[in-house]
Amino acid sequence: MGSSIMDPTGQTTRAEGALQPAIRPESLKGMTVGLLDNGKQNAGRFVEELGKVLVERYGVGRVVLRKKPVATVDAPAQLLDDLHHAAELVVIGVGDCGSCSAAAIADGIALERLGTPTAVVCTESFTATADAMAVIRGAAGYRHATVAHPMAGLPFEKVRARAEGVADEVASLLTGATVRRGAA
Amino acid sequence: MVGDSAATDLDPDAAQAAIEHCYHQGWSDGLPLVPATRELVDRFLAETDRSPDEVIGRMDNLGRTCTVELAAVNAAMAGCLPAYFPVVLAAWEAVMRDRAAKGGAWQSTSGPAPLIIVNGPVREELGFNSSGGAFGPGFRPNATVPRAIGLIVRNAFGIRPHELDQATQGLPGRFAMCFGENEEESPWEPLSVEMGLFDGQSAVSATLVRTCEFVDNRHTQDPEQVLFDFADTIVRTGSLIFADQSCFVVFGPEHAQLLAGAGYSKNDVKDWLIAHCVRSEADLRRVGKDAVAEGGLGGRGPSAEERVSQDTLSRVVSTREQIPIAVTGARNAAMSLVCRVFGTWSNSSCPVERRRRNGTGGT
Repeated sequence: MGSSIMDPTGQTTRAEGALQPAIRPESLKGMTVGLLDNGKQNAGRFVEELGKVLVERYGVGRVVLRKKPVATVDAPAQLLDDLHHAAELVVIGVGDCGSCSAAAIADGIALERLGTPTAVVCTESFTATADAMAVIRGAAGYRHATVAHPMAGLPFEKVRARAEGVADEVASLLTGATVRRGAA
Repeated sequence: MVGDSAATDLDPDAAQAAIEHCYHQGWSDGLPLVPATRELVDRFLAETDRSPDEVIGRMDNLGRTCTVELAAVNAAMAGCLPAYFPVVLAAWEAVMRDRAAKGGAWQSTSGPAPLIIVNGPVREELGFNSSGGAFGPGFRPNATVPRAIGLIVRNAFGIRPHELDQATQGLPGRFAMCFGENEEESPWEPLSVEMGLFDGQSAVSATLVRTCEFVDNRHTQDPEQVLFDFADTIVRTGSLIFADQSCFVVFGPEHAQLLAGAGYSKNDVKDWLIAHCVRSEADLRRVGKDAVAEGGLGGRGPSAEERVSQDTLSRVVSTREQIPIAVTGARNAAMSLVCRVFGTWSNSSCPVERRRRNGTGGT
């Protein structure tokens, strides 16, 4: 028999350890929640409204808002470090395109590694790419919240309705209820 | 040479099994792959002075890199001949100079495709088609060089459809668009020379595009009428999503010669198009894209609407750099293509660097 067939993939996936999700609080009461606007259209409005719902419904103490400079790639380490120090919990939104959904998941996992419980919100159309990125970052099964697609182009009332609709799921991702879910 | 063997000496059963193995591994873009062996890949690597370990592309967000050797494996699988490899490396560099290629384009819902242009003597030496049917099919280098780029994205970067590749529809000809510039029948300097390389230097230029549309104007010999036909195609609202867009005009030789014959240089053509590729506020508002002129998506708010009159004109392209021009195809009908650039064209060409033999420089 002849020679073997070469592998064109290189198999050079980064060797990050399996994710240990950050320790979750029992409740959101009095907590400071960081809101990371990934810069997509309506993302800023969405995370701000979601923050308001979390204050109204769960007694969140206050929110701090940050904006990502480029939606399609990972947030700068400095920005994530800033969020890690400025907030006890973080919400990231909105993954509503191919690259920015994956990037939002990557940011969420990076914050978990820093020790900050994080909930990422993507539209329902991007579950596959979000999950694929979680595998790449050594966090297979990392859960995120989903809202109906699309987000861009929606009038304010519908953005608000999306925020109200997903708030419970986000709260559950951020609190003790999900401490061990997703961990291998 | 395998290619010279009598058909009876070959083993089609073994070939079929090897091809199926490649499919089974998930390496294929859908078409059969050439199973790459160490010996074959080494013949590719022998065509370049670059180290097999040199990293020529990285996707930090995915933790993936592409080395010269991985590019060679994928080029071999794409059906390239070893002699094409320096062109593949130049094409890869040209594609990766596109800022979007490093920033999420391969994962984008837009599903953009590389448009690859080859200049210089390497066209004839390797058999790139620069004349009739330059966009294919039928010519091995035109077909396999862009396919190699696609396989590198798929295999070395690990970006596959339905996973990290989130293309909504993709586009016809994705990873299949590569042509030689018809320098012999172009009235203008080659694209690579316009980009600052010397005449006679083999080179590759590339950008990512979202679609191509033909301009068939065999109806007039008036250069301005012909240009208005191009402008009408360039300003279509369907493809307008940002304020500043790039548009690659791939002229057929007849249109190019007609314009040059009327005294238009490349820059004259670009300047004419900049001045005439405009859309009125009313047109943009009718399709809900009135905020495009200000760089946004969707309509302006009511207060902004009051500030802008219906007959305000917005430019679709605003600089010469946003209208790259090349010439390809046969001089047998006045037809051209307008190709929509996905992001920002790098405005540069990459030299083809072949292995230096006996101390002499390659082309």
